[in-house]
Amino acid sequence: MYGWLCKLGINRALALLAFLLGAGAIFAQVYPDRTISVHEAELLTASARAEDHVPPAELAGWIVEGRADYRLIDLRDGTAFADYHLPTAENVPLTDIAEYGLLRNEKIVVYADGDLPAAQAWLLLRGRGYQGVYTLQGGLDAWKDQVLFPMMPQSPSPEEQARFEEAAHVAELFGGQPRAAASGGDAQLVDMSALQASTPTVAAPSLPAAGGGKSRRGPREGC
Amino acid sequence: MNAPLYKFGAFGDETSLVVAFVIGIGFGWFLERAGFGNARKLMAQFYLTDMAVFKVMFSAVVTAMLGTTYLAWAGWLDLSLVYYVPTYWITAIVGGLLMGVGFVIGGYCPGTSVASMATGRIDGLVYVGGFAAGTVGFAVGYPIFKDLLTMGNLGVLTLPEVTGVPWGIVAFGVVLMAIGGFIGATWVERWMAAKADATSSAD
Repeated sequence: MYGWLCKLGINRALALLAFLLGAGAIFAQVYPDRTISVHEAELLTASARAEDHVPPAELAGWIVEGRADYRLIDLRDGTAFADYHLPTAENVPLTDIAEYGLLRNEKIVVYADGDLPAAQAWLLLRGRGYQGVYTLQGGLDAWKDQVLFPMMPQSPSPEEQARFEEAAHVAELFGGQPRAAASGGDAQLVDMSALQASTPTVAAPSLPAAGGGKSRRGPREGC
Repeated sequence: MNAPLYKFGAFGDETSLVVAFVIGIGFGWFLERAGFGNARKLMAQFYLTDMAVFKVMFSAVVTAMLGTTYLAWAGWLDLSLVYYVPTYWITAIVGGLLMGVGFVIGGYCPGTSVASMATGRIDGLVYVGGFAAGTVGFAVGYPIFKDLLTMGNLGVLTLPEVTGVPWGIVAFGVVLMAIGGFIGATWVERWMAAKADATSSAD
């Protein structure tokens, strides 16, 4: 066999190798099936260490600081997005997220109204190998409760008082309004369309524009 | 570890430049090894006396194709993330003709001219100066050329999608084409050599 290969010469031997590999390639399944898998321990660890979500107050801080090391993705439909969305957010419905062109080494924060769509997006992206995916804890509902309309605790301690004042300041930056404890709590109706009018004025100068994440994409591909 | 490495976050923007540099050096080394740092060797292709360019380039195509196929089959490469250049057929024809004319006049293509310059050849250096000037000229005149760049847009096309033939069969077909091409190229070389002998002995 070896002697025969030697007699064949390197060029013919390589051609033979290419022929055999090519014949084998006929049976190749080159497109992987679209089943995603997430490592169990990885998921549980991320959950236990609270490394899978960002509390609304923290995200508000990032937006105010103008941090640009993450992409903020709004998973709701276009109408809801046009009605109200977080400053700097990009609108990507859940169905389009895998094809949107996010990079696997980017920090990605996803949100919707509640927790479930964001959790689905989290699982989908993690299953497809995206490393830094986070959900906005509690979604937009929690954002409204905690950031836009923070509640003054009843008979607050000085520490709580200070924290509330800080939250109230942040709420005003985002066009929200702090609530007093006596004002009937959750019953207060939140008028989001009125809020929309006031959001751009606070968001305009200091905050990066929505969709600004596009400029942070990787280098252009091609020759 | 999955590929494409960059898209899976194995390295960032800065490291990708280092990776490109290392791959570029390797590419240049193999061009020089194949003799493509020499304009005479490259020009022999156009006169059919030495088919090395055809053989080396087609070998590279087959090697890369088989490697890609088997890596994807093993699940180490996600082909849906590989960047495909869209087809602009008018642009491709115009650009191909310009490139071919430049190749015949200058004796090099851009990659081989850099390899040639690296080995100290003056003609390679002049060629690199020419294509650097051309690059700057293109950048300056970009508004003029802009519309030409996207003429005849057919989107991303692949043989398996256009023909409906499964990937693996297309791959095998390309391998057969290459082997046939190599046999044919060797035959052409012999024929040209015999013709040259006949001409020189007639003198």
